[in-house]
Amino acid sequence: MPIPKHTPGPGETYDPAQPPPPFGHALKQYFAFQDEYVNLNHGSYGSLPLPVVWAASQLAYEIESCPDIFHRLLYQEKLDKSRELLAKFVHAETDEIVLVGNATSALNTVLRNFEWREGDVIVLASTTYPSAANTSRYLADRSEQPRPTIHTIEYGFPLTHAQVLDRFRPEMRKVKQLHANTQFTDVPPSSPSFVADPAAKKNKIVAVIDAITANPGVLMPWQEMVRVAREEGVWTLVHAAHSIGQEPNINLDEAKPDFYLSNVHKWLMGKRGCAILYVPKRNQYIIKTSVPTSDEYISPDTKTYEEKGTGFVLQHEYLGTTDLTPFMVVPEVFAFRAWLGGEEAINSYCRKLAVDGAKRLAEVMGTRVLDESGELTLNMPNIQLPLPVEKTPGELYPPELRTKINLFLQSKLLLDWKTYAAHYYHNGAFWCRCSAQVFNEVSDFEYLGKAFNALCKEVEVTLLRG
Amino acid sequence: MPIPKLSPAPGESYDASQKPPSFGHPLKQYFALDDDYVNLNHGSYGSLPLPVLYAVNKWNYEIERNPDLFHRLTYRPLLVKAREAVAKLIGANTDEVVLVPNATHALNVVLRNFEWREGDIIIGASTTYGAVANTIRYLADRSEQPRPIMLEVEYNFPLTHAQIIDLFRSKIREAKQQYPNTQFTDVPPLSVGSELNDEQKKNKIVVVIDAITANPGALMPWQEMCKIAREEGVWTVIDAAHSIGQEPNINLDKARPDFWLSNCHKWCYAKRGCAVLYVPKRNQYMIKSSIPTPHAYVSPSSPAFKETGTNFVAQHEWTGTMDQTPFITVPDAIAFREWLGGESAIYDYCHQLALNGGKKLAEVMGTKVLDEDGALTVTMVCPHDSKGPASLSLIVLVTQPNVQLPLPVEKTRGEVYTTQQLNQINEFLRDKLLKDWKTYAAHYWHNGAWWVRCSAQVFNELSDFEYLGKALNAVCKEVEDTILKKNA
Repeated sequence: MPIPKHTPGPGETYDPAQPPPPFGHALKQYFAFQDEYVNLNHGSYGSLPLPVVWAASQLAYEIESCPDIFHRLLYQEKLDKSRELLAKFVHAETDEIVLVGNATSALNTVLRNFEWREGDVIVLASTTYPSAANTSRYLADRSEQPRPTIHTIEYGFPLTHAQVLDRFRPEMRKVKQLHANTQFTDVPPSSPSFVADPAAKKNKIVAVIDAITANPGVLMPWQEMVRVAREEGVWTLVHAAHSIGQEPNINLDEAKPDFYLSNVHKWLMGKRGCAILYVPKRNQYIIKTSVPTSDEYISPDTKTYEEKGTGFVLQHEYLGTTDLTPFMVVPEVFAFRAWLGGEEAINSYCRKLAVDGAKRLAEVMGTRVLDESGELTLNMPNIQLPLPVEKTPGELYPPELRTKINLFLQSKLLLDWKTYAAHYYHNGAFWCRCSAQVFNEVSDFEYLGKAFNALCKEVEVTLLRG
Repeated sequence: MPIPKLSPAPGESYDASQKPPSFGHPLKQYFALDDDYVNLNHGSYGSLPLPVLYAVNKWNYEIERNPDLFHRLTYRPLLVKAREAVAKLIGANTDEVVLVPNATHALNVVLRNFEWREGDIIIGASTTYGAVANTIRYLADRSEQPRPIMLEVEYNFPLTHAQIIDLFRSKIREAKQQYPNTQFTDVPPLSVGSELNDEQKKNKIVVVIDAITANPGALMPWQEMCKIAREEGVWTVIDAAHSIGQEPNINLDKARPDFWLSNCHKWCYAKRGCAVLYVPKRNQYMIKSSIPTPHAYVSPSSPAFKETGTNFVAQHEWTGTMDQTPFITVPDAIAFREWLGGESAIYDYCHQLALNGGKKLAEVMGTKVLDEDGALTVTMVCPHDSKGPASLSLIVLVTQPNVQLPLPVEKTRGEVYTTQQLNQINEFLRDKLLKDWKTYAAHYWHNGAWWVRCSAQVFNELSDFEYLGKALNAVCKEVEDTILKKNA
C-alpha cells in the first residue's frame, strides 16, 4: 500500500524564508490548542508545534512502509544526529548524551545503577518532584540490607538564592555528623578527596538537586550547589526536567554535575516521550545498564568490557521496541524554534511575559507574586491564590482537604473555565504556577485571574465552611 | 487553532458492517507496507494496520487540543478500556493486567522487583532473548553481595515437547543439588511450603520461561513447565513476547504462571510500544514499584499501605509523561482483528500458511524445516492437552516456520565458520535481503546451521515464501563465493 497521501493542514508547515508571526496569540496558529482554551500550563505536559506533529506522523508512515529497514539500518544515524544537536545545546560531548523516554526514567536509570550499601545516604529536598522522591524512597524501603537512608532538606519559599545556599551548604556537613560512624569515602571522581582504589571506598552520599523545582516553579542556584556538593565529596544528580528550552546558557562542561537530565518534550517543544540523560565520561562506569537492560549490556568480566567499558551510549541505542519518532524529530523541533527567532528571542519574550503576567494576575486576585527577589523566575511565575493562609500546617488545611481543593480547582478550571495553570499548596498557602509560552499574552493571565477569583470564592463557600 | 481536518486516506478506514477482503495479498491495502516489499518478518517489530495508525494520528491532534484535560481527566478511563480488552484476550482479570512500553520493560519490572539474596538462583535458557538474558546477567553481575546466580537450560532444536520438559525439570533439580547448603524455602504462593512466615523463607529460585522462543521461533510447552516449576517451588516468569495475537487460547487463569508478559505491538497489531504485564493478585505484593517509580508509589511504612498495598495498577497508570496513544488504541487494534474474522480465523489462516510456506521454502532452497520429523502432524489448539504419546508431540511452529538456509552445516563449533564470519554473514544477509531483494525474514545461527524464521501474517501468501526462497538461494550463493571463500 503506498503511503497515504495526506496534505499538511493549516499551521503544519511554515516557510523558513518568511519571518514568523510575532510572539503572542498570533503564534497559536502553529499549535493545536482549541481556540477557546487559555493554556497557561505548558510546563506540565509540554506541547509540540503543529509542524512537528506533522513531521512525526509522516515519519510514522515511513517507518511502517518497511519496519525492518528503519529499525535495523536507518534509525541509528538519525538518533546520533538528535543526540549531537542536544549535546551542543547543553555544552556537552555527543557521547555523554543519550535519549530516554522522560526525566523520571532518566532519574531511575541513575539511582538504580548505584550499588547501594547499608549506610549510604540520598539527600533530597522537601520540594523534590514526587516521583524522584518516591524512587529514592523505594530504594530505601528495601525490606532488608543493603539500602540507603534518606535525608531531606526543607525549603519553604519564598527564599533568595543566597538563602537556599545557606540551607544547602551546612546540610552536607550535617549528614556526615548525623552518621558519624559512616566513612563517606566513596566520592565522585571530580572531588578533591577522590581515590581510585575500590577497596578504599566505603559509603557514599548522593544528592538529587533540582535545577528548576516543579511546585513552586523556581530556579535554584544549582551550579553553586553542585560546586558545594563536589567539595564535600557528594555525588550530584541534577534533576533539570524543566530546563532545556527555558533556562538559557546551560553549560554542563563548566558546571560539571555528576549526572544531569532534562525533558526535551517540555519547554523545548519536543514530542512527548523524549528526555536527555547526561553522564560525563568520568562517571559512565557507574551506569552499568540501561533501564531496561538491552541487548548491548556488557558484563564486567569480559574482554568487551576491557575495550568498551559499560558501553553507555551503545546500551542506550535500543531499549526494546518502542515508538522512536520522539527521538527522531528533534531536528524539526530546533528548526522551528530557530525560525521563531532562536532561544534568546523566545526566552526573553517569555521571561518578560512571566513578570508582566504575574504582576497582572496578582493584581486581579489581590494577592502577591512568590518571587520577591526576581532570582527565582524564568518562564514560570508563581502567584498566591485568594484563599486563607495558615500559620501552622493543618491549622486550616488538613492533607485530605488540600487534595479536595486541588481536585476541585483542576476539574472546574479545565471543564468550566477552559483554562489551566498548575496549582498547589506550599508553606501555608495555595499558589498557582503559570507557564509563559510563546503563544501567551498578558490577557491570558487576566482571564486566569478571573477564573481563580470565582473558583476560590466557591472553595471558601463550599469546602472551607464545612 | 482548529485541528487540521483529518480524513482517512485509502486503507485507513473500513466499514465494520461489510465483509473484509480475503486473507492474503488483498489485505495489504490495510497496511502501510511498501507494495514491492515482501514482508515475512512481522515477528520482529510488528506492523499496525492503517486504521489503527489513523486512530493514533487522530489522537495525537486531540491530545494537543488540551494536554492538561487529556492527561489529567480523559486518559485514565481510556486506559482502563484498553486493559479490559487485553485482559479478555488472555483469560485474566482486568486488575491483574497493566500496560508498559515493551516486553523487555515488563521483564525488567518483574526481575528488578525481587529482592535478591546471596544464594538465589535465576534460571534462563540458551534460547532466552538477548536483552532478557542480559537483565539476568546484570543482576548476577553485582560487584558484591547480595546477588543471584545465573544458570541456563541448554536447548538445541529440533526437540520434542517431552524432551524440553525433561531438560527443564532436570535443570531445576540439578540447581538444587549443586547448592545443597542453600535452603530454597522462599516459594511462590501456590507451592507447597508457601505458608511459612517471612523469617523462615531463605532463598528462592526464579525461572524465566519463553512461551515462544525468538530464534528459533518455537512454541514451548510453557504451561506444563509452569506446573513443574510450581511443584518444585520455583517462581515462574513467562516471557511471552510473541504470544498475544499468535498463540491461541491463552488462559492465564488456568495456567497460573506467577508473572506473564507479552507485546501487543507484535502479533496483536497495536502501535509500538505497548506490552501487557500480568501479575495475579496473589503476587502483586512482590511488585513494589513500577519502572520508573511514579507518584503513586506507596511506601510500606506509610499508613496508606494498609489500604492500597503495593498499588500495582495505580502505579502503572502513570510512569512520567509519555505518548499514551499506543496504550489507548489497543481497542482499535482488537476491533480490526475482530473485523478480519477474529482470533481463530486469523490463527487458522496464518498457521496453515506457516505450514505450507515453510514446506515450500524448504523445497525452493533444497533444505528442511526445523520440526521436520513427523511431517507436521501437530495440532496447535491445546498443546498442553494433547492426548498423543509424548514422543510424537513436536514443537509446534505456531505461525513462524523455521527453515534451514542452503549454507554449510558444522558438526563442531568452528569447523566451518569463525565468529567473525558468523557476524559478517548476518550483516550480509540483512543488507542484501532488505536493500537488493526487498524482502526479509529473521536469519540466525543455531546448533551448527543457518536458519531463517518467517512470520506468516494475514497479508502473506505462499508466493511470498517462494520469492524469499529465490532471494535466499542467490544471497547464500554469494555468501559462499565471498565470505566463505576467504577462509579457504
